[in-house]
Amino acid sequence: MKSGSNLESVLRSGKFAVTGELGPPRNSNKEIVREKAKVLKGNVDAVNITDCQTAIVRMSSLTAGLIALSEGIEPVMQMTCRDRNRIGMQADILGACALGIRNLLCLTGDHQKFGDHPQSKGVFDMDSMQLLQMVKAMRDEKKFQCGKEIKGGEPRLFLGAAANPFADPFEFRPIRLKKKVDAGADFIQTQIIYNVEKFRKFMEIVQDLGVTERVYILAGITPPKSLGMAKYMKKFVPGLDVTDEVIKRLKGAKDVKEEGIAIAVDIINQVREIKGVSGVHIMAIGWEEAVPEICSRAGLLPRPEAEVEAILIGKDSVDEAVEKAKKELAYELQGQIDRYKKEAEASRQLVTKEKEKTAKELKDLKAEIQEKEHLIAKKEERIQELLEELEAEKARIPAKPVASSLVQEGHEVIKLKDKKTTRDVDRALYSLRSGLESLKKALGLKDDAYEALRRFIEAELTLKGWEAQPEAPVSLLEVEREKLPPKEPMKKRDKEVVNLVAKGNLLLHQGKAEEALEAFKKALSIDSEDEKAKAGLKEAQDALNMAKAEERPPLREGVPPCPEGLTQKEWERKWVIRLVAKGYCALYEKKKDKGIEFFKEALRLDPENEKAKKGLMLAEGGEPIPVEVTPPKAEAPEEKVEVKEKKEVKEAKKEAVVPKKAEKAKKPVTPRPTLKVAEVPGAFSVKKETTTLKDRIGSIPEDLFIEKIQGEIRRVTIGDGERAITVGGEMTLPFYLFEGDMPYPPRIAFDVLDSEPEDMPDPLRKYYEDCLDDPVRWAKKCVDDYGAEMICLSLVSTDPNGPNRSSSEAAKIAKEVLDQVDCPVILWGCGNAEKDTETLREITALTGQKKVCIGPLTDANYRNLGATAMAFGLPIVASTPIDVNLAKQLNILLENLGIGLEHILMDPSIGAVGYGLEYTYSVMERIRIAAILQQDEKLQAPLICNVGREVWKAKEVRLPSDDLLGEQETRAIILEAITALTLLFAGGEIAIMRHPRAIALTDAMIKGLMG
Amino acid sequence: MIVANQKPLKEIMAMLKGAKRILVLGCRGCTASCAAGGAKEVKILASAIRLDKKLHGEEVEVEESTLVRQCEPKYLEPLKEIGPSFDCVLSMGCGVGVNFIADRCPGVRVKPALDTTFYGAKLSQGEWREMCAGCGACVLHLTGGLCPVARCAKSLSNGPCGGSQGGRCEVDPETPCIWHQIYSKLKDFNETEQLEAIIPIRDWRPSGHGGPRHRIREDLLP
Repeated sequence: MKSGSNLESVLRSGKFAVTGELGPPRNSNKEIVREKAKVLKGNVDAVNITDCQTAIVRMSSLTAGLIALSEGIEPVMQMTCRDRNRIGMQADILGACALGIRNLLCLTGDHQKFGDHPQSKGVFDMDSMQLLQMVKAMRDEKKFQCGKEIKGGEPRLFLGAAANPFADPFEFRPIRLKKKVDAGADFIQTQIIYNVEKFRKFMEIVQDLGVTERVYILAGITPPKSLGMAKYMKKFVPGLDVTDEVIKRLKGAKDVKEEGIAIAVDIINQVREIKGVSGVHIMAIGWEEAVPEICSRAGLLPRPEAEVEAILIGKDSVDEAVEKAKKELAYELQGQIDRYKKEAEASRQLVTKEKEKTAKELKDLKAEIQEKEHLIAKKEERIQELLEELEAEKARIPAKPVASSLVQEGHEVIKLKDKKTTRDVDRALYSLRSGLESLKKALGLKDDAYEALRRFIEAELTLKGWEAQPEAPVSLLEVEREKLPPKEPMKKRDKEVVNLVAKGNLLLHQGKAEEALEAFKKALSIDSEDEKAKAGLKEAQDALNMAKAEERPPLREGVPPCPEGLTQKEWERKWVIRLVAKGYCALYEKKKDKGIEFFKEALRLDPENEKAKKGLMLAEGGEPIPVEVTPPKAEAPEEKVEVKEKKEVKEAKKEAVVPKKAEKAKKPVTPRPTLKVAEVPGAFSVKKETTTLKDRIGSIPEDLFIEKIQGEIRRVTIGDGERAITVGGEMTLPFYLFEGDMPYPPRIAFDVLDSEPEDMPDPLRKYYEDCLDDPVRWAKKCVDDYGAEMICLSLVSTDPNGPNRSSSEAAKIAKEVLDQVDCPVILWGCGNAEKDTETLREITALTGQKKVCIGPLTDANYRNLGATAMAFGLPIVASTPIDVNLAKQLNILLENLGIGLEHILMDPSIGAVGYGLEYTYSVMERIRIAAILQQDEKLQAPLICNVGREVWKAKEVRLPSDDLLGEQETRAIILEAITALTLLFAGGEIAIMRHPRAIALTDAMIKGLMG
Repeated sequence: MIVANQKPLKEIMAMLKGAKRILVLGCRGCTASCAAGGAKEVKILASAIRLDKKLHGEEVEVEESTLVRQCEPKYLEPLKEIGPSFDCVLSMGCGVGVNFIADRCPGVRVKPALDTTFYGAKLSQGEWREMCAGCGACVLHLTGGLCPVARCAKSLSNGPCGGSQGGRCEVDPETPCIWHQIYSKLKDFNETEQLEAIIPIRDWRPSGHGGPRHRIREDLLP
């Protein structure tokens, strides 16, 4: 829909449309427009509002159109080029659209000569054709005629134009119609048709021009009101062809008006049959009443329901709406009032009910109380009775010192143990009774139930004998005197503890931590479970530690108490280091005496400490400390990472790994498969750094050197099963373990080429001599002999500029490699985007779900390969030419494609030492900083560096050994290892390398750094 | 040529109210060609003025003169000297002449005796018709050499309006519909397809709506 107008929707739906015409009055009386609109409403789909037709001044078409709209009938605003220039016209168009007008009929306009102001200046800034073009551009291109953009709401209009099939030259008329359609007309309304034959001919030509498919044509119909009118039209209206037959029919008619309507209906029925006619435009100006009749008789009723929305609303409609709203509101209010009334009534009833209920409850309660009182009285009586009975019984058997005696009570017999005295029995019975009493109260038992229960228990006791009874507690006091519940003794014991704890807390507050400690300890010796005492003890200990730690110069005892989590020895060592550091600090600050004091103290504790000795010498000798020797450096003797290379050791150590630090237990460190360097002549190990940075750095507060990091690198997993490798996850810059976690160490992949390289330098060739021609054996050798964790199969043979091996062949080889080795595999194409797409697709088709990593994906083939990777859920290498923005762009493209960052490894393109390493470093570092510090999510992918390929094509690895550059192999190894390590420092997570010893060296370094 | 028409005598006499020394100044250029302001017309108008003044009992001195052209500086030189001595110089040149005298001759009170009407051609003895509107943006190559800007009542650009019937303009049946003529002409030349393209909306600035027009040819400047 171009405009959303009713006329447009009727025409688009394929229904035969009907439009009418409404001539605005020559005054300001809006009622006239309303009356006319009411007559037409429901009989037409839209009504044309003429724009000062025949150049006679009338109410403007825009305003009359709005009045009609407020009556619920859709206007077709007519606009002529006679009275306004393009400025005025565009202004009116904007306003018309703003107020809900949706159709515009573009006309050149009758010449002012015909009107009531022939003196006026005809504007004719443009013609109807150009007007159509202008409004179409406003609507479709959102442009004013001058070409400037219409911002914030273009006019949406259904555009119409007029056509006169009867004007001359006849053969040009269809062409002119076509021109109007070309210019933008959506519908055409024709001149009044009486000569249907000529119109049919006209339509045939229009049809031939192929215009009818592009425009809706509405035939113009006017019922002749009188013979005079018909004659006038025939004679004086240019471009109107009134046939003689019409004149004849009117002449012979009894009722001319009736005949006029009949003529109109006949013409409608005729034009309806003409192909390309989509509707009729009934112009009954000054005889609007005829329209319903004509429509009805022509079978055009009922019209489809029009959805018309007036923005300016007529007074009647406003009144109606107000009335309706009032009614609705009143209804709603009445409803609310009723509801509230009902609610009030209900609550009143509820209150009464509640009152009654409460009264009843009260009454019941009183009765219950009375009953209870009565019961209690009864009970007391009974107890009294029993006591008396007991007394009597006691009196009966007082003198007999028997081993065992029987006490008769009712029908039951209680067997007493011989060592029990009667007093014990009394006590037991009393306890039993009071226990039962309480039970009875608690359960609300009736008397006889209670009695029954009592007897059951007594019977049980009798049967089991008193042996089963636990011994009475030692401190149980006399039954007669002691009425405290059994919990009391516990509480009393508590009191002592409480007192001690309170005392401890008091002492603690007074700053006497040691005394407080004693108090708490005492308290705990009484009650080892007491929480408060425990807490106090801890607090006191802490306070003591703190107090001691705060004592600046440890004047007397030297080492303050050892803090938690450290052994005494460690703490002493640390303390000495600290003292030495303080000494140097003092020296540095030119406080010689203080410095000497610190050094002496340090030497007293550790007489062998070289640093302290040196410091003391320096201090006493009065030499100033060299500025660049900063204290932390001076006291960190084991900071240096030593790399030892033992050449040609046949029985090399099985492991080059140093034991892991237990400290970082929370890290999800996966046990790393050890790189087997046994077969590699020359193994490496890096001495482990044992002192943590915190210790080395001394008393500098953490927030001065630790940067808070929020970003996290995504974790990417390559391979399947146990040997799968995950990289990423860092929340810190590389190896800044003091700042954040680096859950997975960087990994190294052995580079395996899929065809025998011709130019492999000897120092590398000799390690793979036996397998260079077979990538499967090569890969196996890497895994089995050199302990490779990961293989990168470089598909160099597929390069169209090189051997150009076919994709299927390459795929077969790759498949075999994948089948033969069980470690994760990266498949690295030849770098030709098209060929790589082909090859990698072939391979993935063979390997299926196996989680190989494929690459490189570039901006040229990321779509195809990305789709492949997505299908199998493979990790990929996104390769870009050494640029932060390009890398980010490719990641975004891949994400748009649907590949998550958790599948992407970024290959930033790298350079070896001397071949652009520093550039690579900068770019990678920028990527990493953006990713974790600035939290640029699009860059939070791990980085993969194809190191071997770059290093082994450098000139320096090929030059033979000489005095200047040294031994060739050592040189090559160092070049590869340094390149790799540098890139790992810049943020690399995976390095693809070639030389086994370079790999072993790099791996040893990683392990050393990871700790 | 520029076609002009003499104003009604009544209007002219109203201009000359109170003037005692009058110069009736003709032009041998366009206005002479269209029989509106040549030497002959000067004589007639001068006599008419004298008669009218006499009729109203006014004394008047009317002199007659006709310049080669009123629109070129060199021909205005003598007027500069004698002009200021007249109460009124009544120009029978076109509007250009009147303007140019007013511009160039200080102290000369110049009045127009003619209404300058159009750029036209003489159809036959005593009949002239507008041919050009001087619109500054010629489209004649598209319309068979016939101008729709000057010769169509609505200056239509894209063909005849619905009022064209029998080759006549609806505004004036005596006027041919220029679009009908354009169509016929192009049809004769078999070039009617030219009319199928829409001529876009005009830029009216060259036709004077962009302000008074002015032309400079650098190579001819002194």
